[in-house]
Amino acid sequence: MQGRAPAREVSVEAGQDCLVGHFAAMASPCEILIEADAHDEALRLARIAADEAWRVEDKFSRYRPGNIVARINASRAEAVEVDDETAALLDFAATLHALSDGRFDITSGVLREVWTFDGSDRLPEPQAVSAVLRRVGWDRVTWRRPFFTLQAGMQVDLGGIGKEYAVDRVAGMLREATTCSALVNFGGDLAVTRAPQERRAWRVGIEPVSADEGRSETVLEIESGALATSGDSRRFLIKDGVRYSHILDPRSGWPVEGAPRSVTVAADTCTQAGMLSTLAMLEGYNAEAFLDGEGVKYWCRR
Amino acid sequence: MTDNKKSVSATLAAATCSLLGSAPTAPVQAQEEPNWDFNTALLYYGEDNDRVQDLSLNILGKRYFIDDRSLTLGLTVDTLTGATPTGAIRQGVPQTFTRPSGSSAYTIPANELPLDDTFKDTRAAVSVGWEQPLGRLWKTSVGFSGSFEYDYTHVGLNGSLSRDFNQRNTTLSGGLAIAHDTWDPVGGTPVPFAPMLDVGDTGNKTGGETKDVIDAVIGVTQVISRQLIVQLNYSFSNSTGYLTDPYKFLSLVDGTTGETITRVPAPGVEGPSHEFRFESRPDDRTKHSLYTQAKYYMGGKVLDASYRYMTDDWEIDSHTLDLRLRWPIGEKSFLEPHLRFYTQSEADFYTISLVDGAELPAFASADYRLGDFDAITAGLKYGWTTRGGNEMSVRAELYRQTGSIPGDLLIGNQVGRETYPDLDAIILQFSYRFSR
Repeated sequence: MQGRAPAREVSVEAGQDCLVGHFAAMASPCEILIEADAHDEALRLARIAADEAWRVEDKFSRYRPGNIVARINASRAEAVEVDDETAALLDFAATLHALSDGRFDITSGVLREVWTFDGSDRLPEPQAVSAVLRRVGWDRVTWRRPFFTLQAGMQVDLGGIGKEYAVDRVAGMLREATTCSALVNFGGDLAVTRAPQERRAWRVGIEPVSADEGRSETVLEIESGALATSGDSRRFLIKDGVRYSHILDPRSGWPVEGAPRSVTVAADTCTQAGMLSTLAMLEGYNAEAFLDGEGVKYWCRR
Repeated sequence: MTDNKKSVSATLAAATCSLLGSAPTAPVQAQEEPNWDFNTALLYYGEDNDRVQDLSLNILGKRYFIDDRSLTLGLTVDTLTGATPTGAIRQGVPQTFTRPSGSSAYTIPANELPLDDTFKDTRAAVSVGWEQPLGRLWKTSVGFSGSFEYDYTHVGLNGSLSRDFNQRNTTLSGGLAIAHDTWDPVGGTPVPFAPMLDVGDTGNKTGGETKDVIDAVIGVTQVISRQLIVQLNYSFSNSTGYLTDPYKFLSLVDGTTGETITRVPAPGVEGPSHEFRFESRPDDRTKHSLYTQAKYYMGGKVLDASYRYMTDDWEIDSHTLDLRLRWPIGEKSFLEPHLRFYTQSEADFYTISLVDGAELPAFASADYRLGDFDAITAGLKYGWTTRGGNEMSVRAELYRQTGSIPGDLLIGNQVGRETYPDLDAIILQFSYRFSR
């Protein structure tokens, strides 16, 4: 959810045994693979998907002036009354914070003021991290539905939930809009609307961590449910031979040690898959042990 | 994390459900695409009365790639043993024959059907195939096949192209295959109609021979409804070159009695006790066949019915009706009864014997496989899915082939003595399919 918004256009082209709708949202290439034969029908469905993705983006991106997130972030400790959908996301964030013992925190975004993951060796000064950390912590906010109160200097960022949430929303709408099977893929976070008819399963490639690694793509087959990937293939710092992942622990303000390069999780919904992969990254060295303990299907790359 | 790690997934599921305002519609089903899909089978075919026994092991591996491309590699090894009718007729006295190798002889007791018991072969066959879509509606495949026996080599190339129409309810397909086969029989290839000679005498043999085959098929598959899929194919096959069986021959008989003319081997050597002539077939054969198949899905059960009509310029016409019913038992296993009926008319040059002194026909063969016969196959297959998701099946079938010899082909004493060499066989198969 950053950068200049590309043109809001939807296109449809022929794919492998399906039609593919393309658009850009949430700083990701988005595609809808549809088992439909008619171009018009595919375009209609892709537009439903794009409209919903853009709606979620407009409403919850921290880069959109005037939206609910902007109003909360500019509230200077004044209580902000939020609508039901925002309230549901805040409830969800609260649950995640509790579930992760504080590792998952939608107020941790301000840490980016001192951390820039550009592949360089520029680590921030510890004092600078400590200073910013005083403006981080879900414990410091007051959330009494429908009123949300954020301390001055703090910020919320729903970017860690928004894309997966949008994928599930779109999948739900397409399930209503067509009996054809569709695969909703927003930059690698994806969900299947219903079991495909013309093939055994939708096939999805997980990219190698880096192209020069010489490893081939892993291909997954997905019949139903969702997949989400967390990773830091391009966003990291290296100093004195230590690789600092962009996964920051909001309790210390420093990167999680031993986080895998990427974790892909399969779950019933994209939101669940995304949260499990994020929580696994936050577990660092224990990522696999955590996922094994949860009994979920995952593909981890280190 | 929290005290009870298991609770993370459960709490998350509940939280997601209230966030999205709905429960997931279907549980996740995702897995790493299997790299290889293996189909393996062990097949036993055994004819009664110590005739042909065949044991074959078949391994077919298919590697899937992204975008529905796949590579198929096949390997078959089989061993054949047992005796097979040579084409010679029964006699009231023992008959001695020179073996195909020309290095020894064997004797058949009086009144028994002459069988060649030196039939023993090991065959290895390999195949390689590549399949891929071309755009959205087209699909293509190319392949190579080869099989190797000590006296026979086959190499072939094949290709196919198909296109979907009508929202994938109609598929048109076409295929072409070419093959080049080489015979290099033990002891040489017999010259057509040459007499069987004494042991050690190779004056009736030449070197290797070759055969070329072109097969073409065009077909249409049509989805009629959710329950019914039908298919119609026309295929054409043309073989040229050496189409004769180098191990088959005919008895040379007296035109009145029908008894085989006797001969005396040269002094001091073993050799045929009677006159036999190696068979001779045309060097060209063209077949046309029509094939139609219907698959009908009815509440989990699948009825698969097919019919083939084949006609060729050797005047063989055949009809094959094949019926299978796949009957699920629970979720993980099924029973599949199978019935097959086959009937064919004899080739125009099929005969029982050659008449001594009469002008030789252009072609003649007493090979029972070119005769007039009916066959029925009845079997049952039981298949199940293992705990690991692999598929296993066992199949047992009985095959019965019964034929008749047209009365006008029998001469003198042959009437009442010569009968078509009927056969019964059993087929047992164990298959295992797994992915890695």
